Amino acid sequence: MIRLIARKEFTEMLRDKRFHWAAGIVLLLLLVALLTGGRHHRDVKRQHDLAQAETREQWLRQPAKNPHSAAHYGIYAFKPKMLPAMLDRGIDPYVGQSVWLEAHKQNEFKHRPAQDLTAVQRFGELTAATVLQLLIPLLIILLSFSAFVGEREQGTWRQLLSVGVSRTDLALGKALGITGALGVLLVPATIIGVIALALTADQQLLLRSLPRLTGMLLSYLAYFGVFIGISLAVSARARTSSMSLVVLLAFWILNGLIAPRAVADIARHLYPTPSAFEFQQTLDREMRSGPDGHQTTDQRTAALKARVLKQYGVEKIEALPINFAGLSLQESEEHGNVVFDRKYGGLWERFGLQNRLKQLGAVVAPMLAVQSLSMGLAGTDFAHHRDFATAAEAYRRMLVKKMNDDLTYQAVNQDFTYLAPPKLWQTVEEFQYTAPSTTWALRSQAVSLSLLLLWCVSTFAAAIWTAQRSRNEG
Amino acid sequence: MDRIMKTLGIILQHEWRSLIADRTLWIVTPLFALLIGYGIYNGSTWVHFQQTTLAAARAEEGTRFARAQEEIAALEQGGKPASAFSNPRLPAVAAGRSGTRYALLPPGPLASLSVGQSDLYPYYFKVSSQSKQTFAYNDEVENPTNLLAGRFDLAFVILYLYPLLILALCYNLLSAEREQGTLQMILSQPVSLRQFVLGKIGLRALVVLFLTLGFSIAGFLLGEVEILAEGGWIRMLLWVGIVGGYGAFWFALAIIVNAIGRSSATNATALAALWLLFVLLIPSTLSVGVSALYPVPSRVEMVQATRRATAEATARASQLLSKYLEDHPELTAGGQTDPNDFAIRTLAIQEETERLVQPVLDHFDQQTLGQQALVDRFRFLSPAIVTQAALNEVAGTSLSRYRHFLSLVDQFHREWRAFFTPLVVRRVSLQANDYSRFPAFQFQEEPIDSVIRRVLTGILGMLFPTLLVGWCGFRALRRYSLAS
Repeated sequence: MIRLIARKEFTEMLRDKRFHWAAGIVLLLLLVALLTGGRHHRDVKRQHDLAQAETREQWLRQPAKNPHSAAHYGIYAFKPKMLPAMLDRGIDPYVGQSVWLEAHKQNEFKHRPAQDLTAVQRFGELTAATVLQLLIPLLIILLSFSAFVGEREQGTWRQLLSVGVSRTDLALGKALGITGALGVLLVPATIIGVIALALTADQQLLLRSLPRLTGMLLSYLAYFGVFIGISLAVSARARTSSMSLVVLLAFWILNGLIAPRAVADIARHLYPTPSAFEFQQTLDREMRSGPDGHQTTDQRTAALKARVLKQYGVEKIEALPINFAGLSLQESEEHGNVVFDRKYGGLWERFGLQNRLKQLGAVVAPMLAVQSLSMGLAGTDFAHHRDFATAAEAYRRMLVKKMNDDLTYQAVNQDFTYLAPPKLWQTVEEFQYTAPSTTWALRSQAVSLSLLLLWCVSTFAAAIWTAQRSRNEG
Repeated sequence: MDRIMKTLGIILQHEWRSLIADRTLWIVTPLFALLIGYGIYNGSTWVHFQQTTLAAARAEEGTRFARAQEEIAALEQGGKPASAFSNPRLPAVAAGRSGTRYALLPPGPLASLSVGQSDLYPYYFKVSSQSKQTFAYNDEVENPTNLLAGRFDLAFVILYLYPLLILALCYNLLSAEREQGTLQMILSQPVSLRQFVLGKIGLRALVVLFLTLGFSIAGFLLGEVEILAEGGWIRMLLWVGIVGGYGAFWFALAIIVNAIGRSSATNATALAALWLLFVLLIPSTLSVGVSALYPVPSRVEMVQATRRATAEATARASQLLSKYLEDHPELTAGGQTDPNDFAIRTLAIQEETERLVQPVLDHFDQQTLGQQALVDRFRFLSPAIVTQAALNEVAGTSLSRYRHFLSLVDQFHREWRAFFTPLVVRRVSLQANDYSRFPAFQFQEEPIDSVIRRVLTGILGMLFPTLLVGWCGFRALRRYSLAS
């Protein structure tokens, strides 16, 4: 019975001209989005790979120079892109793409791509994620707003019931029919997407991103399921089909337009972050005076001096078998690292809290859940950015320490006139960043994942429940 | 004539009664009041945030200057500087650290109404004698996930939700009457269809007008708009004009869809589709098209170009220095310059680096300008883009005002260097009161004429399609059929 109903719904939809138009436009937009997304991804990846190789070359080609000035010269780290990022650019346009790793300072990521674009971008970018998160739900609404209420309006509802069709069967059949119609659109799009991926990306990379891509696919399917469930439930309850449409459209607007912005602003109010100015000022202050505020740089240096002299059992710095300047530089690095960890750590915790609130917002708007999941799996959410920033910072610390150690142990009794041989640059390994695993990505998505599942189950139940209790008259 | 006016009055009255008898109005009105209030609150919070930051910057500059002057006074009494590299009497130290000044961009008079692009651009720079790259990228701290979502400001409510309100009021203007069978009854009375439509539309036009004014006045009052600020009145008038024009467009669209004469559900679907087209699809497609036609070169490339240039300039430092002094003979005249002076060497390197990087930066500029020009031309494809651009323009959160600020900063940076370079090269020792003579940045609002011109072009660009659509709608009404 369910199959029969599903087939009837499916055939009816496929014959509907409105469906042709709507599905055609959505498919076209999806393909354009996939194409531009793929091209953009390829360009950015190539630039970053080239730049990363060049910055390494520049580091290696340094002439003999003082290790500390090499540490000042430093190196750049460019954020790599994962393959699934071509489907969902996430926060990438709004976050700096490169960071300068140099002595003394943990720098911010600079150059947000969005700064170089016009205000039109704020209407939203045409990416596969936008099409999947906003347009397909709209298509679902158009397909199903009149599923039940339409039967009532046409007077076919009573007929159906009179032949003994169960309401649950009707609900399931209709849901299946809509899914089938959606499949006509999504299956070819997915196949085209996979073929395009297989042709452009190298096989290894594709294979490695398979779990993430599958995860994205499943999240979106669950999200579409939510919309099918809601549409059927509303359609079963509504008095007229135009009422059903209005209610569903209102939900769509709340879900896709109002909630993301409203929740972002609420998060900002609840967990305020300092201005860049304030952040820099407190950072500078703590760098100078220590986190507790009563140990100045001079005092720290004096303490270090006393400790080192005692350790080597000598009276004067000149008598030390090491270079004190190098040791002192490293000491101030260590102090800075503690300050950076606390300041940046604190700031990023705040961002994390804001983002968690946004995930919780999925209680009202399922899009917030799927958006967060999609970005997380595409590797374009804040958690991934933070992971990369942390790796880059660890590399910076390693590099600077290596330079300071060389100064400490090789430049004995020489001042800043000491020149390290170029082979020192070789001893600093190349910066290698491995993207975190899929399970890691999902761990920060626990809230989104459970809320999306909850939505899925409850809307499914709601659709069946309302179908069973739906009125017989309009 | 009198009789016609009277009928119109009756229709208006009746429409008003049925409108306020409708439950939806009582749900929608407080909801919108809430959304507007929340939007303005968010906008104001952002403006306050910026103002606090600007005040903190000003205060920091003040204390820094006072400290430098005190230190100089102590040095004049025969004290010793803490370090040769931080002696505030050295012009190089003053120009690069102890005496640097802020270039501040104050929020525009209507900034709290539209955040626009202002959350992406740095709004203050600590201008020093160093190259622009060292101070030009001080982005505001912000959770990128929030930037992605965008701000919930009044402009958002106007761009996205205001059209929906109008469409909700008007989508079943005639179709509902026909579906309920009341249209035929009414037309059996001595009233023509056009009169009846005019009455119905008239009332809704009044409601929309009221909403427009309500939106704007609420914005001006709650958003703490400085009415007395220069150009404040004009900006407010322009704001009302844009919001009215945008509303009129959606209104005209609703009329033509009603005049075509389908069912209420079809009307609602068609209008929702048009809304989607104008507010989401055209803008995001345009955005893709613009970046495909004028791809902005990657900043990654710029970072690398700067680094190459710095390396090159440093490698050639000593040659540069002699060439620099050759090029600027006026600088060496009189004073005795030490060719090993670190500061002078730095100046030479900086100048060379900037010369080498300039083409890359110019390319950026060209592409961004190209993108903007393209957007300006194609914005008329969607009134939503026109309105967004115009609202940002009036609020002072547009790219053009920001570019104006940047050009002032550029000018100030040149002025700053021109002031200090001779002092550095001549190794002048600064006095305490020299600090108060350092150049200071003064922001000048861009001329209001150019704002008016750009905004009026937008309003006219919206008016034309509105009139066209409205006229077609009225023509179509002639053929309106009473049977569904």
